[in-house]
Amino acid sequence: MAIGGIGAVAGMAGLSNLAGTGRPPGIPSVTELGAPGAGVGAGGVTFGDKLLQGLQQVEDLQTQADGMAVKAATGDVKDVHDLMVKSTEATLALDLTVAVRNKALEAFHEIMRMQI
Amino acid sequence: MFDALHTASSGLTVHRTWLEAVSDNVANINTVRPPDEPAFQERFVVAEALPSESEGGAGGVRVAGVLFGDPEGRRAYDPTHPLADENGDIRMPDVDLGDQMVSMIVAQRGYQANLATVERARNAYEAALQIGR
Repeated sequence: MAIGGIGAVAGMAGLSNLAGTGRPPGIPSVTELGAPGAGVGAGGVTFGDKLLQGLQQVEDLQTQADGMAVKAATGDVKDVHDLMVKSTEATLALDLTVAVRNKALEAFHEIMRMQI
Repeated sequence: MFDALHTASSGLTVHRTWLEAVSDNVANINTVRPPDEPAFQERFVVAEALPSESEGGAGGVRVAGVLFGDPEGRRAYDPTHPLADENGDIRMPDVDLGDQMVSMIVAQRGYQANLATVERARNAYEAALQIGR
């Protein structure tokens, strides 16, 4: 009788799934979550892509600021404030990229310090 | 990324252009022309607001163009002047020095106000970068 009772319990809806696939229902499989390294952004944009974009923007701003500095030295610039604003923007963009890098490194070190 | 800096920079450009136009008017305040030519025309800078971010643009302001004042000028009587016609008339520009001085002060204060915006925006962005440090 007891063995028959256990069989009846296993026949319940949820537990029969457990017996079949070995995973509780409602939890997606690892392959459905996507490959490791895929970001949570729309269209699969990763953190690495964003960082590269940021670096590209910093480089563009620095190039613009350098070009304006050359024009100012040769007396070609009409708006002095333009040069100063562009160099300020380049400095700010660089500071932003450095701050993001520091945060990423901090997070990485935090994870590496974890005891297994 | 730093839109406040861009709009303040556009304001600086417009006020600088206005200051240049005013200095042009003041420099030519005694420019004499013979009566058969147009007088020196006062320069007016026309500023136009650019559509803001909610309307899809970048915001800020730009110089839409320069308008020129009255070509008639003021008729003055100076028969000793080499450019005077047979009646002794010459054309002087219709530029009021008091008006130009007031415009100069307003343009300078506008320039300073935009500079303050640039400075404050830069401080705000730098303070944001200190978050969590």
